[in-house]
Amino acid sequence: MKRELLRVLRWLIVPAVCASAVVVGVGLQGQAPAANGDWTTYGGDLGSHRYRPFDQITATNFKDLEVAWRFKTDALGARPEFNLQSTPLMVGGVLYTTAGTRRSVVALDAATGELLWVHRVDEGKRGDAAPRRLSGRGLAYWSDGREGRIVYVTPGYQMVALDAKTGQRVRTFGTAGMVDLKQNIDQAIDLETGEIGLHAAPLIANDVIIVGAAHLPGSVPKSRVHEKGFIRGYDVRTGKRLWIFHTIPEAGEFGFNTWEKDSASYTGNTGVWAQMSADPELGLVYLPVELPTGDYYGGHRPGNGLYGESLLALDIKTGKRRWHYQLVHHGVWDFDIPAAPILADITVNGRLIKAIAQPTKQNWLYVFDRATGQPVWPIEERPVPAGDVPGEWYSPTQPFVSKPPAYDLQGISQNDLIDFTPDLRAEAIKVASRYKLGPLFTPPPVSRWEGPLGLLMVPSSTGGTNWPGGALDPETNRFYGYSFRAPSVIGLVPGPKPDEFRYVNGQARDPGAPPVVPVIGAGSGEAGGPGVTVQGLPLLKPPYGTISAIDLNKGEIAWQVAHGETPDAIKNHPALRGLSIPRTGRANGRIGVLVTKTLVIAGEPGFGTTPSGQRGAMLRAYDKATGTEVGAVYMPAPQTGSPMTYMLNGRQYLVVPISGAGYSGEFIAFAVPQQAGAR
Amino acid sequence: MRLVAAATVVVIGVARGQAQGPERTVWDGVFTDAQAARGATLYTENCALCHGPTLAGADGPPLTGVEFTSNWNSLTLGDLADRIRTAMPPDNPGKLSAQERADVIAHILNVAQFPAGVSELPRDTSALARIRVRASRP
Repeated sequence: MKRELLRVLRWLIVPAVCASAVVVGVGLQGQAPAANGDWTTYGGDLGSHRYRPFDQITATNFKDLEVAWRFKTDALGARPEFNLQSTPLMVGGVLYTTAGTRRSVVALDAATGELLWVHRVDEGKRGDAAPRRLSGRGLAYWSDGREGRIVYVTPGYQMVALDAKTGQRVRTFGTAGMVDLKQNIDQAIDLETGEIGLHAAPLIANDVIIVGAAHLPGSVPKSRVHEKGFIRGYDVRTGKRLWIFHTIPEAGEFGFNTWEKDSASYTGNTGVWAQMSADPELGLVYLPVELPTGDYYGGHRPGNGLYGESLLALDIKTGKRRWHYQLVHHGVWDFDIPAAPILADITVNGRLIKAIAQPTKQNWLYVFDRATGQPVWPIEERPVPAGDVPGEWYSPTQPFVSKPPAYDLQGISQNDLIDFTPDLRAEAIKVASRYKLGPLFTPPPVSRWEGPLGLLMVPSSTGGTNWPGGALDPETNRFYGYSFRAPSVIGLVPGPKPDEFRYVNGQARDPGAPPVVPVIGAGSGEAGGPGVTVQGLPLLKPPYGTISAIDLNKGEIAWQVAHGETPDAIKNHPALRGLSIPRTGRANGRIGVLVTKTLVIAGEPGFGTTPSGQRGAMLRAYDKATGTEVGAVYMPAPQTGSPMTYMLNGRQYLVVPISGAGYSGEFIAFAVPQQAGAR
Repeated sequence: MRLVAAATVVVIGVARGQAQGPERTVWDGVFTDAQAARGATLYTENCALCHGPTLAGADGPPLTGVEFTSNWNSLTLGDLADRIRTAMPPDNPGKLSAQERADVIAHILNVAQFPAGVSELPRDTSALARIRVRASRP
C-alpha cells in the first residue's frame, strides 16, 4: 500500500511555474474556443491539412523573417534531446507542446515564448522500459466552450488530461487525471516492461479520444509472440473506455481467416503509430495501420494478415469498422502506413468526391472515397514475384496504384545508380552487384556472403515519405509532400533464437573473418559489412530529397523540386571537382511541409554550410503554384518536427522544431520584422 | 597536505598537456583496425537495431554516407562521444563505457572509409575533442 502511494506520489504533477504566472501571462485564453488564428490539432485540423490561409509572410518578405522567440528544451528531462519531433498547438494565445526527454508538456506565451507552466510525470522503471521515448509528436486539445483540456500520452503509455489553463491534471478524468493504457486492452501486458507505447499525439473528434499503439522497431524480433497494437476510443470527459478495435481480429471477427495456422493468436504489433485523421461529419476516424510482427520475415504469420498495412475507417463513437483497404498484403518490407491520411473534397471529371489521400513510404499517394473506401482511380492487383526464404509465405499479388503516378523512385535498377563520372558509375555497379536489385515488392533474400548480401530496397524501409506525411491546399486541392531517396539493405539471417523467430534482418559474415561473440537479443549477422556508398557518395542518382505537388482533382503531379541544398560531402568531394551538379536535395530527413495562402514551407534535413558560412540549415519557402523557391532563412539546426503557423495580435508566427548533431532540441518562432515603434 | 595538493596540480597539468597537441582530423589515421573490430561487435549489440546492420539507417538516422559526414562535419569526435554518452542507446544512455564509446566511434569511422592508423582512438573525451570530423580530406 505504501509502495503504491509512493508510486502515485512520484507521478504527481510538478508545476514549475505558479498559477499566478498564467494570470500575468496571456490570461485565461486557454479556455477560449478555437479562433481563426489558432492551430488546434497536430495536423492543423482533423483532416491533417497543415494549411492556414495566412498571407502576412510572403515570397517578398520571407528572407527577412526574424526570430520572434526561441525555446530550448534541455531542462525538460534528465538529459537533452536531439530529436525534437513535436508539432505544437496554439490556442488563444498559448502554445502547447510536448518537449524534452521526459516528454513534459509545456505551455508558452505564443507571442514571446515565455514558459507559463510545465507538467511532468516521472514514470520510473516504466518510463525507462518504454519502447517509444523522447518528446513524441505532440498532444491534443479539446474544449466544450467552457473548459479547455490538453491530452497526451506519456512514454510509459499513460494518458493524461490537463487543464489547459493551469497545467493541473483534470481530477475527474480517469484516475486522478490519468488512464493506464496498458490496462483494459484485451490482452495481458506487464505494466512495467510490456512493450507498448506511443509517440504520436492522440486524436480527439466528436468528444472521443482515439489512442494508437507503437512498439520497438521490428527488424529483429525476439519472438513471434508479441503485444498487439489494439486501438481504443475514450470519453474525453471521463477517460472511460468506449470501445476497442482488434487490429488483429479475434476468432469470429471479420478478417480472422486472413491469418493461417492460428497465427492471429500470438502475432502482435499491427498498431497505429502514425497520426490519424477524422471526419467529424461522417463520424469516421481513419487509422493508418502498421505491419504485424517481423518487419522483413513473415513466415510465422502466413496469410494476408488483416489489418496489417491497411487504411481503416472506424465509427468514431462505436469503433465499428466501416471500411478498410489493405495497401500491402503480407508485408515483408516494413512499409507500414507511416503518416496521417489527408482529407480532401475533390472534383474528378465533374464529380464531387469526399476523398482521403494516403502518403506512404512506397511513394504512392493512395486516394479513396473516404465515405466508402472505394479507390478514386483504379488500384490493380498485379502478380509479384515470390522469394525463396525458407518458411516464408508470399502473397501472389500486390495492389498497384494507377493514379496519381508515384512521386519518387520505386525499385532500383542499374539505371538508377550514380553517374556523375564514368569511374563513379563503374564503382557503383560493382558495389550494387553484391546485392539483389528489382522493382517495388521484390522480396528480401537470405543474406549470403557470396551474394546477394541482401535486397537493395528503394524506397528504403523508412521511405519515401515517413511520419511527417504531407499537406493539402484546400483552395486548389493540391497535395504537398516530401520524400527521400536512399537504399536500405535488407538481408535475412537466422535469428538469435531461431526457434522463437526464424529470420531477422542482418548481413552474412565473411567466412574468413575471425569469429565474433554472438549477442542474444541484439542484431544478428555482422555489422559493418561492405557499405553501399561510392567513395562516400550516395549509390543512387539524385534528387535525394524532393517536395512534390500533386493535383488531386486530376491525379497528376503538378511540380517537383529538389528540397535541401547539396550536402557539403557531395559539394566538396574531390571526385566531383570541376563538375556542375544541380541541387541534389537531401535524403534521410523526415520532413513535414506547411501550406499558407501562397507558400509551401519546409526546413532542410541535415546540417550543411549555409550561405552565410555558418553551420546550420535553411528554412525554405516555395511558391505553392509553381514550386519556385522564393526565400530562405537561416536556422542553427535542421528541422526535425513539422512546422506550424498561427496569427496572434495581427502578427503571423512560424514555429519550427529543430535539433540534430551537436544541437539539442529547440523551438524557433519566426515572424516578419515589426516596424520601429510598433513594438 | 600542501605538498599533496601541489603534486595533484602537477599531475593534472601533465594529463591536460597530453590531451593537447596539434588538432587532428578523421583523415589522420586516428583509430586501428583492431579497435574498429571491437567496435563492430559493440555496434551490433547496442546500435544496429535502430541504425541498421550496415549503418545505413533504419528507425534511427544513418551513421555513414553523406548524411552522417555532413551532419557531423566540423564537429569533433568529442561531440560525438558526448552525444553517445548522453543519449545512446536510447533504452539505457550511459550504458557504454568511455572505452566502448571510442571503439564504436572507431567502427563508424571505419565504415565511413576514413583511414585506419597505428594508434587507437583515445577514450578521454577531451582528447577526442582534438579530433575534428571533416567530410572531405583537408
